Amino acid sequence: MKNKVPSFLLERPPAESFNRSRGSLRTPFIEKGMDHLAYVIKTGYVQWETASRDNFFQRIDGRVKVLFLLFYVIIVSLKKDILSELFIGSFVFVLTLVSGLNVFSLYRRVLFWGFIFGFLIALPSAFNVITRGEIIFPILRLSRPYSFWFYQIPEEIGLTRGGVYGVMMLTSRVMNSLALSFFVLYTTPFAEIVKALKVLKVPDSFLMIITISYKYMFLFAKTAEDMHLAKKSRLVGQVSNADARRWIAGRIGLILKKTRMRCEEVFEAMLGRGFSDDIKIYASKKLRARDWFTGVTFFLVGVLFLWM
Amino acid sequence: MSGLVADIIRLEGISYSYFDKIPAVCDISLDIKEGESFAIIGANGSGKSTLLQIMNGLIQQASGKFFFRGHEVTKQTLKDKGFLQFFRKRVGYVFQDSDIQLFCPTVLDELIYGPLQLEMNEKAALDRAFEVMQMLNIEKLKDRSSYMLSGGEKKRVAIGSVLTINPEVLLLDEPTNGLDPRTQCFLFELMLALSEAGKTLVIATHDLSLVNELHTKVALLSEEHRIEKVGDSNDILKDEDLLRKVNLIHEHMHQHGREAHKHRHSHYFFHEHGNGGDV
Repeated sequence: MKNKVPSFLLERPPAESFNRSRGSLRTPFIEKGMDHLAYVIKTGYVQWETASRDNFFQRIDGRVKVLFLLFYVIIVSLKKDILSELFIGSFVFVLTLVSGLNVFSLYRRVLFWGFIFGFLIALPSAFNVITRGEIIFPILRLSRPYSFWFYQIPEEIGLTRGGVYGVMMLTSRVMNSLALSFFVLYTTPFAEIVKALKVLKVPDSFLMIITISYKYMFLFAKTAEDMHLAKKSRLVGQVSNADARRWIAGRIGLILKKTRMRCEEVFEAMLGRGFSDDIKIYASKKLRARDWFTGVTFFLVGVLFLWM
Repeated sequence: MSGLVADIIRLEGISYSYFDKIPAVCDISLDIKEGESFAIIGANGSGKSTLLQIMNGLIQQASGKFFFRGHEVTKQTLKDKGFLQFFRKRVGYVFQDSDIQLFCPTVLDELIYGPLQLEMNEKAALDRAFEVMQMLNIEKLKDRSSYMLSGGEKKRVAIGSVLTINPEVLLLDEPTNGLDPRTQCFLFELMLALSEAGKTLVIATHDLSLVNELHTKVALLSEEHRIEKVGDSNDILKDEDLLRKVNLIHEHMHQHGREAHKHRHSHYFFHEHGNGGDV
């Protein structure tokens, strides 16, 4: 082996110094993407960690929590006044505090997604172009009303009382539903949520697919991150966006290939443990007195909200 | 400095946690000299790979300092093209999983990727690639894609892809893991040859026979992700109590003919029966 070592490997690097370049390398988009992927993994871990704590809501059976979520989302959708939505929102907020969750992190997400899927989507309906009614905030005055096919554009355009109320209603419903969903997600390990879906008669095969897909998401993120590190260790200068795109395309192909192989291996592992077309997922244990008590209490509070 | 070999790598109180919660390495301080063969040994999950990734500037420590040839390596310094080139030219990293390291269409592309990155001309890069292929006995694989290679072949190509850069320091993460005995033997010889060629080898492993073969200096990591001891491989490998404490050897029952024995065991210790250990 010694005789075969190429001569260039015996060469010493020319100098120990280096020239500092002016300015610094900008972070390529691929690096940012990888950081985001790492954030996804971290989020998954944080979800598992908060869901495994020994606090009030975390101790309750997953089935009770899934039914609680479903029942309260229906209540949120049925209520037709802002005040009731406010009460339900406050109730979820108190539960969040009692469960020892990071309120800031949870409500930051609720506000962000609530703003996009509640407020922004519903906003156009607040205008009198869509919702007729008394204008409480005029925005634009045209010289005359216009008619296109069956559309009528009035002379004065603005926000109507009914429209604004509708937007507020929809936004509060979306935010309450999100708060409830995140609350249950943050207090229940994912595996328990999946098992609890059995109570809603979701087929086992579908639950298995969800479980494997969820697990694959993390494997994928980890593989992609490792590949990026391997490339980074051999990179010296700035990579152009075109080169980065080419590399990503190549990696996607390879990951697909690896995924197919992994898929076959998992299937073989399933066969090796007795799988024969009929997926059976272990059913959860019996509900304890605490679960029944909490479930009934939540049900009664829910009925109270409905009655209000 | 006269008469003394300079530190090529210095770690001062390095700590790193995954997700800011799971500790990977805690308060690690190490000095690695130029031309030294240095092994970081420890049980699974003790933080060996994380430490190598920090030494390659791939991840940034949460606290502590990392110096390469006296220059502090930080996120900021690695954004300086001059320093990045200086650092990457001199430090090569062979990953544990060769699959993730091989990302070019063919073996030949894989070998010339590094030199081309370093702005070497194509002819010189190809010369290097062919010389390395000859050394690693992988010439016949040059047009193959990485997924058409066996585990041992992938490892050779992964090492070759780093060697064509001619780094001063080679960071090797579990180099012998999952390889057949012949390939392992080939790797021992390769590492010895590279060490004799003046390369600094930093090897993360729990393969004690590899440490014994290479007579390395050793940093022993505990399961609490801290340095348990730093010393010569002979001294550390002799200290069975210490190795058992860090979960690198274990004690279990064996049946030899009609006799049952209980003794310490690892891939390195071949049935050393202690007087009081027999059952």
